[in-house]
Amino acid sequence: MNPAEEIKQLFPGSVVSTGLQTNKPLATIKKEDLLIIAEKVKEMGFDNLSLITGIDYRDRFEIIYNFFSYAKKQNLVLKVILDHDKPEVDSLESHWKVADWLERETYDLVGIKFRGHPNLKRILLPDGWVGHPLRKDYDMGVDQFVTLGEDGEDIVSTDGSNLLRR
Amino acid sequence: MRTEELLINMGPVHPSTHGVLRFKLTMDGEIIRKCDIVMGYLHRGTEKLGEMKTYLQFVPYTDRLDYISAFPNNYAYVKAVEELAGVEVPLRAEYIRVLTLELNRIVNHLVMLGSLLLDLGGSTMIMWGFRERENALQLFEMLCGARMTFNYIRPGGVREDLPEGFIPKLNEFIKDMENRIVDYEELISGNEIFIMRMKNIGVISAKDAINYGMTGPSLRGHGVNYDIRKIEPYSVYPDLDFRACVRNECDSFARYMVRIDEMRESLHILRQVVDAMPEGKPTSQAKYGIAPMTGAPTAVSTYFPRIFTPPPGEVYSRIEAPKGELGFYVVSDGTIKPYRIKIRSPSFCNLTAIPKMVEGLMIPDLIAAFGTIDVVLGDVDR
Amino acid sequence: MDPLTIDTTKIKITKKKPVTALDKLNDTGLISTVLAAREREGLILFSTIDQIFNWARLSSLWPVTSGLACCAIEMMATAMAHHDVARFGMEIFRASPRQADLMFVAGTVTKRMAPRVKQLYEMMAEPKWVISVGSCANTGGPYHDSYSVLKGVDLIIPVDVYIPGCPPRPEAWIYGIIQLREKIKNKGYGAKWGLNK
Repeated sequence: MNPAEEIKQLFPGSVVSTGLQTNKPLATIKKEDLLIIAEKVKEMGFDNLSLITGIDYRDRFEIIYNFFSYAKKQNLVLKVILDHDKPEVDSLESHWKVADWLERETYDLVGIKFRGHPNLKRILLPDGWVGHPLRKDYDMGVDQFVTLGEDGEDIVSTDGSNLLRR
Repeated sequence: MRTEELLINMGPVHPSTHGVLRFKLTMDGEIIRKCDIVMGYLHRGTEKLGEMKTYLQFVPYTDRLDYISAFPNNYAYVKAVEELAGVEVPLRAEYIRVLTLELNRIVNHLVMLGSLLLDLGGSTMIMWGFRERENALQLFEMLCGARMTFNYIRPGGVREDLPEGFIPKLNEFIKDMENRIVDYEELISGNEIFIMRMKNIGVISAKDAINYGMTGPSLRGHGVNYDIRKIEPYSVYPDLDFRACVRNECDSFARYMVRIDEMRESLHILRQVVDAMPEGKPTSQAKYGIAPMTGAPTAVSTYFPRIFTPPPGEVYSRIEAPKGELGFYVVSDGTIKPYRIKIRSPSFCNLTAIPKMVEGLMIPDLIAAFGTIDVVLGDVDR
Repeated sequence: MDPLTIDTTKIKITKKKPVTALDKLNDTGLISTVLAAREREGLILFSTIDQIFNWARLSSLWPVTSGLACCAIEMMATAMAHHDVARFGMEIFRASPRQADLMFVAGTVTKRMAPRVKQLYEMMAEPKWVISVGSCANTGGPYHDSYSVLKGVDLIIPVDVYIPGCPPRPEAWIYGIIQLREKIKNKGYGAKWGLNK
């Protein structure tokens, strides 16, 4: 049976819609129920969390989880729609350890906050970077420079005079 | 006896981090208690650049993600776009693609073996590995003129047909390579020092490995029979005879042996591809989407338009790259540029397991375990 | 071969046989004036400080091991058996910048890596040279539009030789190295120290 439909049967109130993402079963769910459904998804044997994608649609954020089950050789896609003003969703770090970095990356580049994440810091860009680059309203015109602090930590500023040659 | 904890910094410029990666190690004497990984020193904003380029223009950027094995990167992205746009690819193009993918898998493992052994203190293997790699690179050069960044696999097929004299040279390479792998095994696999540094080092259970998102050869060293070429067959892999190489020991040595086995399997695939190479055009001749740009036609992608508009939609497409599961999540909004490209890079997810893997080991063991994970920093930081 | 410790007692100078060590030295063009005067068992060489120093420096350039991105793989290929950069006396890639006198900036210099690259350069002892390799290090290359990439390494450190390519072939590397050797050969250190007034 299609795992997306299965989830819909188990949680009729939480699943907004089901469908296909090209050829993978897709379930769009309410953001409040992500953690409960994720627990069930893990029980169903989806032990590999392939990918977390955050997308900025200007009026809303979508966050997409691609799961795969090694035992059943099945795919499952979960999609959660978030408000644009307050993009926040529960962290799946406790169920899939790989979510730790995938969520940090999504936070870093798209700016979606993950509730309950133990170490929600920037991962690819240095701490102190202004803005989230993969948002559509990110200002590409501003140059931000990184310099080294006394302990070797990154200091971000728009002033590159310490770094650049005169 | 309680000892003082010591913080040791490794990188971002360190010979054995394969690029610009930084480990922050909390040491208790010589034992690693905690390993923090700091990355992002090669973050080039590829995903954002993808939103500014047309579908075809993004292909060269995929070359530079995992620059040791660029063909699989090309292919993974092109496959996603083709799935999104519904493009039919001629059979000959698919065979040429598989040929390049498998050849690149060998090249990747050669570099991996070389740098692993170099990190462990033996410099023979890197000389040997790069010697054979040079032969393979000459084949790549015949195909597309580039040694590392190919831009060869395009939506709708490949850029050009196989050049004259390619197949005989490839056969020569395959024949040569068979003997070389025996040499490598004689040099490394039975070496006592090597075995002592690899066996029972960097052990992590299969369940943990999956939970930490490891894929590809690194995972197959943990007894998980999982190969996307088998499970979700793509291209012409269903027609080819090969097996997924699996080892059960869960340690660094098993992960190393998987690579050696995979090189043999790749040669086996290459031989079949050469035999079964069909005649035909290497590029799809179907007209697709909006008309091509005006201007003089060039030899590049003669039939398939340079600018095209896939219908709105999203796709996650993945392949078995030499390092693991490589996927591209492409969202189209019906314009000539992708709305969003997300790269699922194997190195990034495989690296997640390192802190868990090296807890309680020593620094030299960290280097051994890290070498068998086979990470490329362009792929980690994107 | 060190010109200052040649055992000259074994060298016989005849005008018709230009194959002695001294003639070879003369042929390099580095020591323009070689006068051999046999005084008991010694030899006197006349040259300029510049030429002796430059000759020594360009013959043993030790690069620092700092690969940044794709070009670093071609750096490895250049150093390996097929292209064999040891021909130029620079096969010893030093892991510490203190022991190196040449830096290949091989790859994309991101904003986050830029202060580290600069620090590496500052840690190297004088005299030191920098070769910027590949489009990314030269100008930002394909990543010029990116938010996190520095648009050329020459914004932060002085560069002696630029090698174009994405990534440059090993032959291009070797050509770049030869260009740097030419540059070193023609540099006057004596003038800097006030020696050849």
